[in-house]
Amino acid sequence: MRLPVLAALMLVVAPAPAFAHHVGTYTPQDNEITTNFKQVKFSVQAGKFDVALRLFEAGALRTQMRATAAALPPGLESGTRAALQAEDAPEVERRLMIFFAALARDLALEAGRQLADPRLTPEARAAAGPRFLEAIWRYYNLIDFAVALRDDKTSVAVRLAFDEAEGYAKKAAGPEGAGLRDSLRRIAQILTNLIDTSSTFARRDR
Amino acid sequence: MNHAWRLPPLWVVLVAVVLIVCAEVGGASMVRFRIELTRWARGAMLAHPGVHGLVGVRDVDERVLDEALVKFDAALRLFHLHAEGMGLVILATTTVAATLARARRSREAIIALLTVGGAGYPLGYLLWSWLIPYHGIERGKAIAEWLIWIPFGGATIVALWWLAGLVVLRLVQR
Repeated sequence: MRLPVLAALMLVVAPAPAFAHHVGTYTPQDNEITTNFKQVKFSVQAGKFDVALRLFEAGALRTQMRATAAALPPGLESGTRAALQAEDAPEVERRLMIFFAALARDLALEAGRQLADPRLTPEARAAAGPRFLEAIWRYYNLIDFAVALRDDKTSVAVRLAFDEAEGYAKKAAGPEGAGLRDSLRRIAQILTNLIDTSSTFARRDR
Repeated sequence: MNHAWRLPPLWVVLVAVVLIVCAEVGGASMVRFRIELTRWARGAMLAHPGVHGLVGVRDVDERVLDEALVKFDAALRLFHLHAEGMGLVILATTTVAATLARARRSREAIIALLTVGGAGYPLGYLLWSWLIPYHGIERGKAIAEWLIWIPFGGATIVALWWLAGLVVLRLVQR
């Protein structure tokens, strides 16, 4: 009697490790815009403004700045180029900060718009929320240090709003998806203020 | 006691060799047709936006597509690796079974489980890579798990424990 019991037990227990199998890992990579940003930033930090200018002129940053010019403060692209030519590192940093704040803000606005769509299924809403937040953070994270240097309150406000949004994103499948939309609206508002303030300073400085 | 190793049945050797051949052909095809495969997978994913949760915003969707393509590529690589490895595992373990399992029925059962389980398991990765564009990473994985990885992997593990038990028994009886 013992042997069949043992055999049955083995049949049940032994395949358990088959539930665990290699499926590979994924490490998110930079997209062409964040890659180009890092190239330009590190070139500027190294004092290689000629390299930075070349990378900016041929890179995805400038292409994207031109493509989204309507949503950006006027002259952002030409101003960035001029700052690189003038070897003005703080000005380059400020303009790139404005650009990435605008990208993150536009994503927050688009996320809010899409998540408000009543045709969206709960599953789709639950999947879309975190993905938008990830995309927003990918851009904002690049400039958080520059933001904190200029206006630490804004930096903290964005981080708090983002944390709150992440909390809501976990339960965005339900009708309480409104909480996530409110957080996204707040992120967009803070970033809009940052863009306006920074652009004003930039104009005053000129 | 006869110390000579005994060969497993020829059909088992054939299965193991064919599996290794498939691994090599798969690996070579993966390199040769990398661009075509990626293009096909990307096209199939874009044709099923709902499955992948694409939202029509490049900054969001590119990351989703990139992850799915990395997993698609990983599944093909894992098929290559597991088919190579399991081919050798089949040869080694069925040789041990053919040599040390005295009772005909248990010997045949162990060899059958090791061969079928070992040959089937890597195909789960091939299935998963094909399912990713149509069903997404997680759902594709669940299908491959229940159709192939768990039954075939389970068969191999059961057979290996069984074989290990027999080897221990032989040691004790010595």
